[in-house]
Amino acid sequence: MTAKLTRIDEREVLRYLGAAKAPDPELKERITRLSEELIAVTVPRLVWRRLPLTADNDYLLAGEDIRGILKDCSEMVIFAATLGMEAERYLHRAQVRDMAQAVILDACADSAIENVCDHFCTDLAALVQPSFLTDRYSPGYGDLPLSHQKVIFDVLDVTRRIGVTLTDSGLMLPQKSVTAIIGISDKPQRHRRGSCMGCSMYSDCIYRKEGRTCDKH
Amino acid sequence: MTNTEFTILDGGMGTMLQSAGLPVGMAPELWNLTDPEKVTQIQKQYVRAGSQIIFANTFGANRCKLKGKADVSEVVRAGVAAAKAAADGTDTKVALDVGPLGQLLEPLGTLSFEEAYDIYKEIMIAGAQAGADLIIIETQSDLYEVKAAVLAAKEHTKLPVWVTMTFEASGRTFLGVSVGAMALTLQGLGVEALGFNCSLGPKQLMPLVEELRRWTELPLILKPNAGLPDPETGAYTITPEEFAKELAEASSLGVACLGGCCGTTPDFIRALCKELEGVSPAERPKPIYKGISSCRTTAKYGTVHVIGERINPTGKKRFQQALRDGDMDYILARAVEQQDAGAELLDINVGLPGIDEKEMMIRVVKAVQGVVDLPLVIDSSDPDAIEAGLRVVNGKAIVNSVNGEQAVLDRILPLCKKYGAAVVGLTMDSNGIPNSREGRIEIAKRIASACDAYGIPREDLLIDCLTLTISAQQEQAVETLAAVSYVSREMGLNTVLGVSNISFGLPEREHITVSFLTQALYAGLSFPIVNPNQDAIMDAVASFRALHGEDPQCEQYIARFAGRKTEEIAHSSAMTLSDAIARGLKAETAALTREALAKMDELEVVNSLLIPALDRIGEQYEKQQIFLPQLISAAGAACEGFEVIRTGLAKKGDSAISRGKILLATVQGDIHDIGKNIVKVVLENYGYTVIDLGRDVPPERIVDAAIKENVSLVGLSALMTTTVGSMEKTIQALHESGHKCRIMVGGAVLTPDYAKKIGADFYAKDAKCSADIARSVLG
Repeated sequence: MTAKLTRIDEREVLRYLGAAKAPDPELKERITRLSEELIAVTVPRLVWRRLPLTADNDYLLAGEDIRGILKDCSEMVIFAATLGMEAERYLHRAQVRDMAQAVILDACADSAIENVCDHFCTDLAALVQPSFLTDRYSPGYGDLPLSHQKVIFDVLDVTRRIGVTLTDSGLMLPQKSVTAIIGISDKPQRHRRGSCMGCSMYSDCIYRKEGRTCDKH
Repeated sequence: MTNTEFTILDGGMGTMLQSAGLPVGMAPELWNLTDPEKVTQIQKQYVRAGSQIIFANTFGANRCKLKGKADVSEVVRAGVAAAKAAADGTDTKVALDVGPLGQLLEPLGTLSFEEAYDIYKEIMIAGAQAGADLIIIETQSDLYEVKAAVLAAKEHTKLPVWVTMTFEASGRTFLGVSVGAMALTLQGLGVEALGFNCSLGPKQLMPLVEELRRWTELPLILKPNAGLPDPETGAYTITPEEFAKELAEASSLGVACLGGCCGTTPDFIRALCKELEGVSPAERPKPIYKGISSCRTTAKYGTVHVIGERINPTGKKRFQQALRDGDMDYILARAVEQQDAGAELLDINVGLPGIDEKEMMIRVVKAVQGVVDLPLVIDSSDPDAIEAGLRVVNGKAIVNSVNGEQAVLDRILPLCKKYGAAVVGLTMDSNGIPNSREGRIEIAKRIASACDAYGIPREDLLIDCLTLTISAQQEQAVETLAAVSYVSREMGLNTVLGVSNISFGLPEREHITVSFLTQALYAGLSFPIVNPNQDAIMDAVASFRALHGEDPQCEQYIARFAGRKTEEIAHSSAMTLSDAIARGLKAETAALTREALAKMDELEVVNSLLIPALDRIGEQYEKQQIFLPQLISAAGAACEGFEVIRTGLAKKGDSAISRGKILLATVQGDIHDIGKNIVKVVLENYGYTVIDLGRDVPPERIVDAAIKENVSLVGLSALMTTTVGSMEKTIQALHESGHKCRIMVGGAVLTPDYAKKIGADFYAKDAKCSADIARSVLG
């Protein structure tokens, strides 16, 4: 499975920009153009491991929330994804050139990293069939503390493998990076991420093409 | 080590330590103190397998990674001692192993170059004291960090320094460093050997080895992983024998120094030794590339490269004002603009009376290389400023300049040698500029011998035969051209010329400048120093390249000119300044501001046109008729209007109009700065002077700056719940300092109640709101 970035969701970008209600055509056009530029410069990267949920691996979890999500699971996948330094530099430069452009690009990048994660989850769902995936859960959500980043970084060797570094305060650089834990279960899992319409994979989803969804296939 | 005999290194350490029982999550280097004999046992296995150099268990022994769990020097010394114990009684040498700090350097990260140097210094000193035989700086992806490490090693030890960096199959590191940039920079810094480790298997690294051979004669090192890991399990899959076979291929490319990285064990090293029995590294062809580089972009010698001249205060009032104000944004805009116009190197000159040139050189070099990829030319006559610039430059720079005076050569050339820089030699000396071509050639020869004496390779000397103004000394143009031709063709040296000076004092200067440029290029000029923003200049360069076969299939020429239209900024007479700003039209805003200035003075334009226009935009934003991007576009357009005003004022010798000073910072621990930067743009365009301290700023720095700059409004930003705490601390520190100022705060996780609770005076929900607050505090 390779890291893929294929699409930046315009509606999501508009939402991030607080302009979802009454977007003007000029803004939409800029989003389209900047999305294309961003996709062209970005080299997304991915590292992941599939691990059994044993007592030995319990140190990879923290808090009640993630344990709740994994309650029906026998295995988990831990992953880290990033848009990479190329995109980071592009965003940094945009702030020097044109702040308005930088703001749009930043929103595009937020949508882009979601797309990379969604692709990974789709590929993973196909790989683990007939088992099912839970939602992905990241440090900083609920009671999974940001300090847990360190544990994930160590087990995946994130810095060496995909070039993401971690600050002492638990933030990732490049900023457009995600780490998360996903459970693998024999039983179908309830997803809380909302309907298909809200998913950045909407147009490319392999399940939807077959008239199914990723949680009930 | 030589190029003709193999030196066998060791293999992976991490997994060996884990299988020897290293607890999960524990820093492996701590075992040097608690279980040194286990470390020694592993290394003994490598010695027995045939490793001639073993790496001490010091990869992560640095302040960033040990975080106070143990004393770095102690851990390093114990690590070297454990390795020496393993090598005891054999010929095996011990390398101090120096890995990356795991923190990203500024400007994209938070660690400063100087801090990185300091952290490395501690390791180097301890390693040398403990008796390491050499230093190996490895698994690096940031050339800037490597430079800090190499300088620390070279300045505090006498040990040989080897460097291996980690590349992706694309031929670049995670930070975009190219093979050529690595070779040029590190060779210049005087490392003894260089190469690659980690990230890929031997097979995938071969194309990179081939590329590296084109750039350097230094011995090459290759320490690949055991193939590519299975992503699912993280396990490496190739066998020791497969690894050895694949890696032995490198011997035919002349790689002399071989070992393994992740996933390799003593069995791999044993297999490698067996595979290499009776083989010698192949002889290597001479490198074919030389040149100048940033960390990502190289300018190879042998073709024409344009040096942009616009970062220079000479004769530019607006630039001088920017230097006095420490206005980095203005300077950065000049850098970006020149890169966009096609400059391939940027000249950096910040010499101005009343400015600390050394400090300014450091600031500008760091800022510029943070936003453009181009190699830099450090332009100064002050040796301290030159050294400061060379030290912080990320890549291989050019020093501009020395001349034929022995005292100058003796002062500057050692700096060029130490930092591996190329150097511009002006063909003049204490007697001035010779009028004849012969006189200049004679000085060029003198400078060339001085470079020989200091060990600076001939190709790194760029001779400037000096352009004189034809309106004053008309006969000099042909002398200059003849000297360029001789220096280039007969002496085989690179040449530089500041071209624009030729036409000084003449009308329609461009015609003479372009014509002289073309003739100089034909005479052999390789590095013209020009204003790349003038289309005619870059058009001439593009034409020259097409005519001289530097532009295969005229591709660049066609790309430049196909479909070019002469565009004129035509605004309909009906458009007002307010409309132009509302629509974010920069050029029109500038033009209309200029028109307005014909009728009223600067202050009036600001107060009766620019500010009201911004206010209207602000109202629309509040009513959600427009959104953030349009608000910022409008602010950006207004910025062009203000720029016209500032330029006008700078010409008159007035300092810029300011409605008051505001200090902005993203608090300690937080690295999100886009929100703060949006606020900055908006505030600046309402006419306030913003002192931007950046991100991850400790409370004490904010307090110091607030006092020093006597600021009465401070804006703090934090995006994360985890960093609001440090916002509170900063507010406390500001209150405790007794400095009278108001504090506004903003950021995604804040609310008006929370802002109040942590002691802020104002909660700014967005950029527009911060401008309203500024007005209520500062007027």
